[in-house]
Amino acid sequence: MARIKQRGKAGAAKNYVTRTAAVRKLQCSLADFRRLCILKGIFPREPNNRKKANKGSSAPTSFYYAKDIAYLAHEPVLKRLREHKAFAKKLSRALGRGEWSAAKSLEENKPIYRLDHIIKERYPTFVDALRDIDDALCMIFLFATLPSTARLPRDIVDNCAQLAMQWQLYVMHSQSLRRVFLSIKGVYYQAEIMDQQVTWLVPYQFTQNIPTDVDVRVMLTFLELYQTLLGFVLFKLFTDINLVYPPPLDIKKEDMAAGVGALSIQDSQEHLKRVSNDKNLGADGKKISGKDVRQTIKSIVGTNDPQADAEMEDQTSTSQELEDEQFVTHASKANPEASSDLPTLHTITTSPSDPTSRLFAPYTIWLSRETSRSIFEFAIRSLGGRVGWPASSGAGSPFDESDESITHVVIDRPVVQKEEPATQRELRLRRKYVQPQWVVDCINAGKILLEDDYAQGKLLPPHLSPFGELAGAYDPRTSNDVNMEETSDAENDNEEPVESDENNVEDDGVDAALASVTTDDPASLRAAELAAEAAGLDYGEFESKVKKIGKKGSVSSNAVVADAESDMNKMMMSNKQKKLYEKMKYSQQKQTAEREKLQRRQQALQKKQTT
Amino acid sequence: MASVKAKKTSSKRKHDEDVAEEQTLHSATALEMLTDDEACGDGDDDLSDGEAVDEFPEIDANSDSDDDEVEAEEADEEDEEDEEDENESEDDEDELLTDDSEHHIFPKPKTIISKITGQPKRVYPEIEPDYDSDSSTEDAPNRVGDVPMHWYDDMPHIGYDMNGKQVLRPAHGDELDKFLATVDNPDSWTTAFDKKQQMEKPLTAEELDIIQRLYAGENPDAQYDPYEPMVEWFTGKGKEEIMPLSAAPEPKRRWVRSKWEKQKIMKIVRAIRQGRIVPNKPKTSSKTQEFYSIWSSEPSSVQPPPLPAPKRALPTNAESYNPPGEYLMTEEEKAEREKLDAEDRERDFVPQKYSALRLVPAYDNFIKERFSRQLDLYLAPRIQRVKLNIDPSSLIPKLPSPSSLRPFPNYRSLRFTHPKGRVRCVSISPDGAWAISGDDDGIVSLWEVNVGCEIKRWKFEGKIGALEWCPRADLSYFVVGIEETIHFVIPPNVDASILALTQSLLAPSTLPPASGTPSAVKWTTPSTSAWSSEKPILSLHLAPSSGVVTQLSWHKRGDYVASVSSGGSQNSVWIHQITRRYSQAPFKKIKGAVQLVLFHPTKPHFFVATQQYVRLYNLAEQKLLKTLMPGIRWISSMDVHPSGDHLIVGGYDRKLCWFDLELSEKPYKVLRYHSRAIRSLSFHPTYPLFASSSDDGSIQVFHARVYNDLMTDPLIVPLKILRGHQITDGLGTLQLRWSPKHPWLASAAADGTVAVWCS
Repeated sequence: MARIKQRGKAGAAKNYVTRTAAVRKLQCSLADFRRLCILKGIFPREPNNRKKANKGSSAPTSFYYAKDIAYLAHEPVLKRLREHKAFAKKLSRALGRGEWSAAKSLEENKPIYRLDHIIKERYPTFVDALRDIDDALCMIFLFATLPSTARLPRDIVDNCAQLAMQWQLYVMHSQSLRRVFLSIKGVYYQAEIMDQQVTWLVPYQFTQNIPTDVDVRVMLTFLELYQTLLGFVLFKLFTDINLVYPPPLDIKKEDMAAGVGALSIQDSQEHLKRVSNDKNLGADGKKISGKDVRQTIKSIVGTNDPQADAEMEDQTSTSQELEDEQFVTHASKANPEASSDLPTLHTITTSPSDPTSRLFAPYTIWLSRETSRSIFEFAIRSLGGRVGWPASSGAGSPFDESDESITHVVIDRPVVQKEEPATQRELRLRRKYVQPQWVVDCINAGKILLEDDYAQGKLLPPHLSPFGELAGAYDPRTSNDVNMEETSDAENDNEEPVESDENNVEDDGVDAALASVTTDDPASLRAAELAAEAAGLDYGEFESKVKKIGKKGSVSSNAVVADAESDMNKMMMSNKQKKLYEKMKYSQQKQTAEREKLQRRQQALQKKQTT
Repeated sequence: MASVKAKKTSSKRKHDEDVAEEQTLHSATALEMLTDDEACGDGDDDLSDGEAVDEFPEIDANSDSDDDEVEAEEADEEDEEDEEDENESEDDEDELLTDDSEHHIFPKPKTIISKITGQPKRVYPEIEPDYDSDSSTEDAPNRVGDVPMHWYDDMPHIGYDMNGKQVLRPAHGDELDKFLATVDNPDSWTTAFDKKQQMEKPLTAEELDIIQRLYAGENPDAQYDPYEPMVEWFTGKGKEEIMPLSAAPEPKRRWVRSKWEKQKIMKIVRAIRQGRIVPNKPKTSSKTQEFYSIWSSEPSSVQPPPLPAPKRALPTNAESYNPPGEYLMTEEEKAEREKLDAEDRERDFVPQKYSALRLVPAYDNFIKERFSRQLDLYLAPRIQRVKLNIDPSSLIPKLPSPSSLRPFPNYRSLRFTHPKGRVRCVSISPDGAWAISGDDDGIVSLWEVNVGCEIKRWKFEGKIGALEWCPRADLSYFVVGIEETIHFVIPPNVDASILALTQSLLAPSTLPPASGTPSAVKWTTPSTSAWSSEKPILSLHLAPSSGVVTQLSWHKRGDYVASVSSGGSQNSVWIHQITRRYSQAPFKKIKGAVQLVLFHPTKPHFFVATQQYVRLYNLAEQKLLKTLMPGIRWISSMDVHPSGDHLIVGGYDRKLCWFDLELSEKPYKVLRYHSRAIRSLSFHPTYPLFASSSDDGSIQVFHARVYNDLMTDPLIVPLKILRGHQITDGLGTLQLRWSPKHPWLASAAADGTVAVWCS
């Protein structure tokens, strides 16, 4: 006889544990459990049958995989959290007794935890980490702008600001920014890094206040993880292109609000060499060769030159190598037409994958005082442009407003009619004044758009999402053409009644008779013919009408027949399929209704504009 | 060094000696002074001087010999003094006596200033061990010693005196004397009985005092002062012991540093110098996270990474700061949106249009949205859901087009109307030319199928429950079920030969022999003279309480007809054999109310549909073959395919079940397409068609192809929905019959019409 199966010993009852059971098993507080779940990326699961998973109870609880919880039990972080609990008790006791020195030494030996192993566990490969970096970036950029409060220590905000700047520096250096979208929530950026689309949202530069109904502890726990994750990701990204991480921060510039400019790109090879040179100098002066000196001078010049942008330096350093490695092509004798430009590894790796990534390279753009420097400096520099800004937007502008090379001025003020000096007017003629949206639309379009549409004070064309719409949703770009067709149809329709206005009266009866006509029914056709005769209608005219109706009718009747057939075929669907079908149909109808509504509105708007 | 030390000690010792000499001198002078000052008495004081008074003389071990000399001198002096003391002692005694009278019992102490300590001290007079002072020298006449006095109880004497003479018992007064003594003698209460002398003796003042003190619970010694200041003999200033307890030389370790300690310390020092030990290093102060190439090593586990969290949807045009105008919401839409709950709203923001970027304000819900995203990440259960990215129309099964499956009835060719009452039943003759229909009013009409011209009308009493043509081609008659009777009627204008054959079958001149078991059904035939087309030629009367005949079902060969009555559960099913004019109830008892019966077209099988099940019986072997479970709550209709292998069952709950009888007891296919209850089902006898009618007034025509090989499933294709009947009183089309030779359909409806649908 087979063994009797006991209840709750196998299957869902064993595979799932409720949250309460999990907390009890881990012997930690609920807050600690939440923290662990956040850090380890453990989330509740929905069992197929809640009753089976919860020993017959249908109480609303959240379930976790029992295995997940079992893994949590061995988590080093959990051990640290327990130690921290003991530490907190000891500390409060010491403070209560007034044992300040004991409290101090306790505080110095406070247990802290590291998240390195968790990062490695959750993201076994670098691509995994990149794939999941969106939320991290959003949070880091948000917290970089928050004011530090009692709940939010200053060092966290500082670290977030650092990481955000480093990320921007990397994107600028690697020229991987692809899309920018100015939304009402903030600015969306999308970069393509190692074939992964990374999208992040940066709020506009306003003071954000944390609402009271938001649990800051949860956010800070996430932030803890994200800071670590982003640090490792940035380390990998920087070191992969032979840059030093963390990039050296110029505190003086930082204090003068230079933003990303405060960070400098440093080649790790040079860095190493310089370090070793310094050592050599310290140890014995004889070892320094002329080459070393030259290199050091070069590196010193390179770092001290305020004009040297990240990409410029990159260009200078790589240009020589590039020439060395250039693939010398020998045209094959057999097939002289064969393409001569074989891609070398170097060309593949160095050439930016997207030709648009150096879109602004030929331009020098001046940001006016009222435009947000943080957005446009990043966007323009990511696409290879030179950008300058007034001192009121922060220090570190590579050139000033009177620079001759400025081609565009991004300006966001209404036009004021006033006399301006001749020099100003001359400048105005030579430069193009555009509104900020031009920069973003150029990036999204992948080409330089005409500046006239975006001129100062002009009504801007709508700013559309570069990420596109959902499939099947209303798209204002394509709907314009459709509308044109429809309006032409409508015009034709309008013409007709004018033609047949004179014999409108007698037409009514014939039309009514024709309306009932179905081409496959000869009897009714005959009746209609009689009616037309009675009305004194020309036979030719009648024929043409019949034909028209027949055309419409045949099309519609065919459609009707097909519809009816498919309706009948629906009978043969199983219940499950029927439900699925209905659901899909419902969502489709909803979408089309929405689309049509938007189209109608657009037409109304167009009409209003034309009149 | 040692020599130096020795020198030092020697010098120290010399010094000590000097001190000692000085002290002895000093004490000597003090003695002299005492004698001078206290000339009047207190020899005990003097005596205590020298050694005793000097409470704790400092003993110099090194100067033993010197002291001896001093002591010798002192001893001499004492000798001299003793003589003086003896003289003075008498005076002292006197003084003591006087003191005693003044409530002093013990010798009175003197308080003097100590010459050595400089503190006041009490000095007690010396007890002189002379004859007087001892109690043993008291004048006690009785000298018997310490023996129990009761030995002398019988004697006249009580002991012996010093000289050996008997001490006579003193006179012993009686109780009265005792009493008088207490009255007369005022001291009598201070007396106590002395056993030695066998008489009352007065207590001394000291003894009384002691008794009083004991009585009061005090210390018996009156002189005792519990609160006298403590005399510090060994502690306090100036009493420190200065001489060493041992003469051993001081060990080296007292002043030489430990080698081992030094080695240990040096080890730590070296570690600190080398940086191995960082003093006062705060362990956790180095908070800055060190980053390194974490992905350069292989992943620790071979498990696939956890699925990444789903990303947020990318923003669409509506979220732009400058969207096309059509995205903006009207006031009504905004109001409508406000009414909805936050989670029901389509978007979490209201589209806004700003003319310039500088006018865009901060987004209020930024942090809240981030937070809700995080809540989603760690609190929301995630389900992997396969998103069907298919065209919904591809879900509809691809079936051959109905136009390729012609012919089937698709239009109404004629309508035959009954004047009143709903038409319950219709039947078409085996040759397909005639139709009969019966209504609730009791009228049965015979009409022509092609034209719809009524030939004949019969009027019966009661509702027409069922009517059927006999399927035999060589005969022409039909059966009508009214109430509890079944009438056999021959239509008019029948070919003479057929009429004769029919008449001979239904009303034979010689009745077949009655079977042994009498049946509850009566077969009655009117007399030959009364024969007319108006009247039924044969009538069957079922048992009186059997109820209305609801169904009549012919066997294919036309010899048997089965009837179902609605009445009781018992005997509701009868099978009537025409040739033998015999009726029998096939089931003695049947579970459930029988709804329908059917003969199998080829085998001697019989289908019986109760409310929920369909049972298949073998009539020849009289046993149950199969129970089909359609899963219908209430079966309304049933028909069997002409091949006999398939069965369709319809129910009032709108379901139609197709059974493959070879396959299973569960339906092969369940269809639900009518919006109301199914009323009738019918297979076409020759064409691959079947139709269903329903209370929603529509008729659904299907193509139903059944293949001979067992592997191919039957093909069911819906062909046409025929509409045209009105719904009256919630009833639609009640019965369907196919024309046997054409793909034509006749339908009887509750609106009083019978329609013929042609292809």
